[in-house]
Amino acid sequence: MTSPKRLSQEHQRSLERRLKAGDERALGELFDLVAPWILGLAFRILQDEDEAEEVVGDVFVQVWRHIDQHDGGRGPLVPWILSIARNRSLDALRRRRRWWRKSAHLEQAQEAMGEAVAPAAPHEAAVPGWPMHREVHAALAALSEEQRRVVVLSYFEGLSHREIAQRLRQPLGTVKTRLRMAHQKLTEGLRHLKDWVE
Amino acid sequence: MTDWLGLLAAPRTPRPELKGRVLARALAPRRRWPLAAAAVITLAVGGGGGAWWAYRTIGTLTTERDGLAARVHALEDTVSTFIHGPATRLIQIPVSTGGRVGSVTIFADSVRHRWLVRCDGLAPNARDQAYQLWFITDRGMATAAVMPMDQDKPMVMALEMPRGEGGEADQRVLGAAMSIEPRAGSASPSGPMVFHRLL
Repeated sequence: MTSPKRLSQEHQRSLERRLKAGDERALGELFDLVAPWILGLAFRILQDEDEAEEVVGDVFVQVWRHIDQHDGGRGPLVPWILSIARNRSLDALRRRRRWWRKSAHLEQAQEAMGEAVAPAAPHEAAVPGWPMHREVHAALAALSEEQRRVVVLSYFEGLSHREIAQRLRQPLGTVKTRLRMAHQKLTEGLRHLKDWVE
Repeated sequence: MTDWLGLLAAPRTPRPELKGRVLARALAPRRRWPLAAAAVITLAVGGGGGAWWAYRTIGTLTTERDGLAARVHALEDTVSTFIHGPATRLIQIPVSTGGRVGSVTIFADSVRHRWLVRCDGLAPNARDQAYQLWFITDRGMATAAVMPMDQDKPMVMALEMPRGEGGEADQRVLGAAMSIEPRAGSASPSGPMVFHRLL
């Protein structure tokens, strides 16, 4: 297991500059850094290895071609890439006609274990960014069960507030309140996250 | 903040070949030719359709223009025959209708037994009335035309002079008259007379 080390903001900016300059090696380095997380996120949403790998490809094509669109002043590179991965995955999910079957399968998986907060296998701790992963999990674990549930449905399934309310059989106002409070707590809990930890 | 939530998912180790595949795809030169081809096809189809439409429209308009030109030419001939014919008489009759002064001009072609009549400055009719032009013949008044006039603009018409059963002009036309009649016209003058003129 490699010991975690911090990828400083300066290093991250350097990587971004190289990408913007068309340095192909930088893209390879970026893959080593974030591909496991993109793949994990895409698989978490799609529950399909092949489709998740397709999303990884889509994400890197988009990052390489549109890196100029990332405004470093508005946030680090990794969350931007993760947001692309999430959007691509949700697009793929929505395209599927098997939405409800997969969704039900996903829900069963969540209910069986609450995967969103489940600890990963020890060998995964060698993956770059692992400490950050644990911090995000800790922030989510600090939420109430109800808040956690609406956050997961919103983030990983891309459900609207109304759809979440229908799924949970809760009033729409309750769902909105839970989401708002969850986001406030997460913002507080993750405020310190600026550097990508390798 | 929520962008970091992507890290909630457990990481997955990519299969060894994925990196090469992804980088090759990302770094491949952009294949713009499908877009270019699509654009060319779209332009060709759109352009072709547009050209066909323009061709059809131009053809239709050309035919229409030629027809109108032929009609204008024929009318010019007719008018020219009336105006410049050696047997044509010109009669101009001042009239007063609705308090305004106008005129009725008659080109009478005694050879072809036709009249060309132009009315200027006639007051528009009431909704239930019309001007009616009469031939004054040796057998009485014969209707020439019923002219409902709803607009204040000149009116021109060509009229055949009355003929007998054998096709000959066996009614001698002595003059012309105009009266104001019901909208559908009358068999004989019954309304106010606009003019009555022996030629």
